[in-house]
Amino acid sequence: MTRRGPGRAGRWACALAILAVPLLLALFGPLFAGEPGPHAASFTAGGGHLAGTDFVGRDVWRQVLLGGRPVVVAALAATALAYAVALPLGLFSALTHRRWLDELLMRPLDVLLAVPSLLLILLVAAVIRPGAAGIALLVALVNIPDAARAVRAAAAEAASRPVVEALRMQGESWARTALGHVARSALRTLAADAGVRLTGVLYLVATAAFLGVGAAPDAADWAVMVDRNRTGMFVQPWAVALPALLIVALTMGTNLLFDAALTGRARGARAAREPRPDHPPADDPYPGPSRWEKPTP
Amino acid sequence: MTGLRSWLLRRLLLGAGQTAAVVLLVFALTEALPGDAAVALAGDQPDPARIAALREAMHLDRPAAERFGAWAAGLLHGDLGSSLVSGRPVSSYLADGFGPTLLLAALTLLLLVPLAGGLGVLAARYEGRLVDRLISAVTLAVYAVPEFAFGVLLVTVVALHLGWLPPTAVGYGGELLAHPAVLVLPVLVLLSRPVCSLARLVRAGMIDALAAPYIAHARRYGIPGVRIRYAHALPNALAPAAQQLARTVDWLLCGVIVVEALFVIPGLGTVLMNAVAERDVPVLQGLAVVFAGTAVVLNLAADTVVFRCTPRAGVVA
Repeated sequence: MTRRGPGRAGRWACALAILAVPLLLALFGPLFAGEPGPHAASFTAGGGHLAGTDFVGRDVWRQVLLGGRPVVVAALAATALAYAVALPLGLFSALTHRRWLDELLMRPLDVLLAVPSLLLILLVAAVIRPGAAGIALLVALVNIPDAARAVRAAAAEAASRPVVEALRMQGESWARTALGHVARSALRTLAADAGVRLTGVLYLVATAAFLGVGAAPDAADWAVMVDRNRTGMFVQPWAVALPALLIVALTMGTNLLFDAALTGRARGARAAREPRPDHPPADDPYPGPSRWEKPTP
Repeated sequence: MTGLRSWLLRRLLLGAGQTAAVVLLVFALTEALPGDAAVALAGDQPDPARIAALREAMHLDRPAAERFGAWAAGLLHGDLGSSLVSGRPVSSYLADGFGPTLLLAALTLLLLVPLAGGLGVLAARYEGRLVDRLISAVTLAVYAVPEFAFGVLLVTVVALHLGWLPPTAVGYGGELLAHPAVLVLPVLVLLSRPVCSLARLVRAGMIDALAAPYIAHARRYGIPGVRIRYAHALPNALAPAAQQLARTVDWLLCGVIVVEALFVIPGLGTVLMNAVAERDVPVLQGLAVVFAGTAVVLNLAADTVVFRCTPRAGVVA
């Protein structure tokens, strides 16, 4: 896991370059989309259209400009929502001294972890057709168990330090101990976890939209475009390839960016998440004697 | 051995609890909705006759607990009910879609472990060199990409531009095994994410293991490198990867749904998507129980493998 110095800047540049195109399109695309033109024939190439027309004869380029925002916004909202629930849940569970309360809070989530995430979304979606807000809520719900476990693991490591015990004995309030100390020391691990979760959420949001869940069948959404324009793939491949490429760039870029940002810290984060007696966490102020570091005779 | 036995017992209990909870959850999500389920299921243009028929078929006049009891009792006897749309028993839907899905999943799993292990070991062996950087970069990049986008691009290039492989399984019916060319792209797409995540974990575990003192000691004894790598380092390197297998199961089940939709393969995923589109609740429930039950069983199997490999890892149970 050794990283070379010059490689890091390159990784940043690579990640940013891949992510920039879809992110800028998603953020500013709608500003340049303009008014919808008259519908032309379906699946034509050229004819005044930059990237041809789609399955109902709309301009593909205009749809591309409009279609990034729903994916990005839904993913960000879902990640934020998942943490809004998981953070207090995990913190509370890590800080409580009552074992049964800890079990009561976390065990039901173990059960939820067993259900495939896409299946859960499809099940609910079959009965109540969710809109864009609904799908963000659902994806957040599916991500809560994993996020809560990650928060709990990261916080438990911080909560077992003598500092927390001292704060508790001083009679500091729960909120001050939890937010002021435990959450703050777990922040790095949580940032790493949030990056992983965001890529997972992007995957779920896009896949759900591709399967026709959470977006109208004629919505301007990259994933929906891929699905609906597949019928014309033989005559007009751009209507499919362009949004597919953008989704690939978006997910790939997000993953590479978080990896580049967290490369230096990954070691500490992983050690903190799975504390092992022979690998003390990197930022542990009181590392125990390690059997790896015994002086060799 | 007692450690293993008591752990296995606890893990089996958790599995049973998960199965029971999943059954309850599936029922709660699909039927115990606020409001009138029949009205919700009748769709955008509610037709009074259809609502009445749905109420009749779903026994909505009875309390939810009683309906759940009847459904769960049916499950125990292997009776999954019958479709609201066609009236055919749900088990016949399952039987229809079972073959293609099993074929896809079996092929993927068969290729997944050697491919991921091989890539991980190869990258770890040449750590920091070109091979390693190439494998690391590609696995990291492909790891997060949704199957449908990757698959569509593959189809566009390989099937449409180069014409090497058929773009979909349309026209081949259920006889996929007789036309192996049809299966290449779906299996490739299905493999993309799990291979990347497992290969990365095997690489990291292998590098850790190769740096451990016992490997240095084995080197000092003059044990050949191949034997050190495969007999001593690899078993320890596999533990974190085996733990990730459980997550991979989730991805594979999701992936199967997407890949079947993308390549028009008449498997369980397609049956599921049709049931979602038609709001066919009994078929949905049956499929959800089968999918979630598979996930529970495979998770249990993965945990058992991890526990056998590394008793010190302390798998949750």
